[in-house]
Amino acid sequence: MLHIILYFQVHQPYRLRPYRALHIGKSHHYFDDELNRSIIDKVSDKCYIPANSILKELIDKFEGRFKVSFSITGTLVEQLRENRPDVLESFRGLVQQGGVELLGETYYHSLSCLFDEEEFLEQVRRHSRLLEEEFGARPVTFRNTELIYSDSISDFVSELPQFRIILTEGADKILKWRAPLYAYKSYNRKHLLLLKYYRLSDDIAFRFSDRSWVEHPLKVDKFVDWITKLPLVEKENKNLYLNLFMDYETFGEHQWSDTGIFEFIRHLPECVLKKDFLSFAWPSEMIDSLNYEPESLSVPEPVSWADTERDLSAWLSNSLQGNAMKTSYDLLERIKERGRSDLLEIARRLSTSDLYYYMCTKYFQDGDVHKYFSPYSSPEDAYVYFINVLADLEKRMEEGT
Amino acid sequence: MRVLTLTWEFPPLFTGGLGMACYGIVKALLRLGIEVDLIIPTKEEVYFPLRKEEDADSLPLSFPDPGKRKKRGGKITIKEILEEGAIVGAYYTTGERVWERIWERIWEEEPLEAYRKSSSLDNLRQLLSGDHFLFQEVRRYTTLAFGIAKQLDFDVIHAHDWLTYPAGILLKEFSGKPLAVHMHATEFDRAGGPGAEGIHHIEYLGISLADRVIAVSGYTANMLAERYRADKRKIRVAHNAFALSGKEKEKKRLFKEITILFLGRITIQKGPDYFLEVARRVLEKEKNVRFIVGGIGDMQRQMLHRSASFAPGTKILFAGFLKREEVEEILRAADIFVMPSVSEPFGIVTLEAMSYGAVAIVSRQSGIVEVVKNVYKVDFWDIDRIVSIILELVSKPEKLREVSRKSVEEAKKFQWEETARKIADVYKEIKER
Repeated sequence: MLHIILYFQVHQPYRLRPYRALHIGKSHHYFDDELNRSIIDKVSDKCYIPANSILKELIDKFEGRFKVSFSITGTLVEQLRENRPDVLESFRGLVQQGGVELLGETYYHSLSCLFDEEEFLEQVRRHSRLLEEEFGARPVTFRNTELIYSDSISDFVSELPQFRIILTEGADKILKWRAPLYAYKSYNRKHLLLLKYYRLSDDIAFRFSDRSWVEHPLKVDKFVDWITKLPLVEKENKNLYLNLFMDYETFGEHQWSDTGIFEFIRHLPECVLKKDFLSFAWPSEMIDSLNYEPESLSVPEPVSWADTERDLSAWLSNSLQGNAMKTSYDLLERIKERGRSDLLEIARRLSTSDLYYYMCTKYFQDGDVHKYFSPYSSPEDAYVYFINVLADLEKRMEEGT
Repeated sequence: MRVLTLTWEFPPLFTGGLGMACYGIVKALLRLGIEVDLIIPTKEEVYFPLRKEEDADSLPLSFPDPGKRKKRGGKITIKEILEEGAIVGAYYTTGERVWERIWERIWEEEPLEAYRKSSSLDNLRQLLSGDHFLFQEVRRYTTLAFGIAKQLDFDVIHAHDWLTYPAGILLKEFSGKPLAVHMHATEFDRAGGPGAEGIHHIEYLGISLADRVIAVSGYTANMLAERYRADKRKIRVAHNAFALSGKEKEKKRLFKEITILFLGRITIQKGPDYFLEVARRVLEKEKNVRFIVGGIGDMQRQMLHRSASFAPGTKILFAGFLKREEVEEILRAADIFVMPSVSEPFGIVTLEAMSYGAVAIVSRQSGIVEVVKNVYKVDFWDIDRIVSIILELVSKPEKLREVSRKSVEEAKKFQWEETARKIADVYKEIKER
């Protein structure tokens, strides 16, 4: 059996306003409320509302045979609560309907795993509490920010025994000759690993509307045909997992409605479920469906799902990101030491990975995906505003104001 | 005495360093009773007849073409025009044919004269025929100024910096009136060495064809003599000054740490890379400091990346482009001002920083060091020395306070009147020749 696991990342950061050096000490207004609100509105109308309604319809129609999983961040839930309670209600409806598994991650979609194990665990715990409060869900599957994973992350997560499964990228450099369709175990054998099948995932997430792509336009029949042609000859009847992981905003936001992306997802289940050896599954179901002892994967260096490098370079490859990240996490630690709970929330929002992503200079000249996501005119601007905000926050902490 | 003043900047339009200096000079000249007809790069054919001191602020404007003057009404000021959103700010946009016409007109009206003068003018014409944006703008300004000034009556021509030299040269040739060219900065200063060839040529022509060259410092006068082989007898030095503008002068800290400021364009001339190196070295030894880089420029991206590579946390901040009030705000917050310019003809900003009580550490490769006492004078490349001065000042607050107090006192002595008197002497000399 080949289990198709659909996981959608649902996240929006708190973007900073153009906070200048001369604002320091005069204004503690760091986040661009208007911009953040307008993006929440735009994404809600273009993606969350229509996509949720399609999923609802499909879950009903296939009576439990169509399954998806979501990872919804704390920073998004807060912003929906504030600006679009209707959208939060619609996610809640989906969960109550029973077709959705919710995954655990850091509340702030942060890079805390790289700097501070305690902070990382605290953010994960806080996220789990949020899922319980908002959705009545208790996650057993963990996915880290941007699918960042390494051996030490499995070690960290093992502090939280409820998590049995971790999702990450099926990067060639960790899989080598192995196929991403099998289940694996972490090096310490404490977690089951599900690896993103990046080629087929990215066919939907990135290439779907690319007119220069030879396979354009991508129709459901063709896609499902590719799935059936995967090397499925599994003599020992091992259960396999096809992990299609992507941003939820793929539907209607990254790929606009007129590309046919909604029709694609609408017709995917019927096409898949026609084949008797294909099914949809939640990540947590692998605990029961697994019928073999998985191999261990050693991942000494972090991998992620970002860019072609599939490493940390989207957030941590130039000096701007280096100084910003180190300064911000140092400050977070000092704020905690001093018990400044009033500043802690802000410092944590500043740990969100997107803010460092905006400072990336890797592809900036070529106007690549980084530019698409950045609200600033240059990575340097993103850095300057960020450092200025940290300077003000640091001043408040030191002055006790 | 009436002077035709040609400049690229004048507040409230284009308020760079050149604009502020021209404002100070023109205002002081008016106080001395010298009348000024001002031509700046405007979209329409207008000039500014300035007759009394207040005119330098209100900028009443006039259309030399009587028809247009009538249509617009008699008294109109730049502020009204700006509020109308009508003109000024964008440059003259009539395009290339006008430039060609001006030469045709010269030939038609004064064929013999033009023939006689053709070699130097042809030289100028060729220099300005390039496609570069800046040269096109200079061409437009020259055309504009020539068209307007032909209808005006004045005694001497005063052209500020190379951008207006072509206009000055042409007008001298065809009006027969004497020309003074003012050197606020040479291309050698801006480029940190030899720069654009065409600009060097225009500066050279200006110096050669003018009756007097006014340099903003002895440093600049020497540079003109050495680099352009200018005739020293033609050069007069009139040091810049500065006028207090902001009302609030007392210190207002932004940070509790000693705040060390760089303020200027982030470009090779101003030595921002030396400032960052100083910051890096000071931060290795001293935590009670905060560095601020104020300004923008072609090296800002590079400087930002370099500063981040020191992992300075929030100790080096970039303030970006600063409006006038913001400049004052940041000067009030600064304890130490560093001007590590590779070549600085004068450096008015030092006087300003001093007047706000910032202790100045300034490059010896500048004009300002000729006229001030209570500053630290250093070679721009001498990072060791700048670092040790800063560390000493940080460790001795009483010394910092003392030098600060002296700086405020000394800055008060500078007045544009003195500069204007020297300039007025130049006018008198050349008018009587």
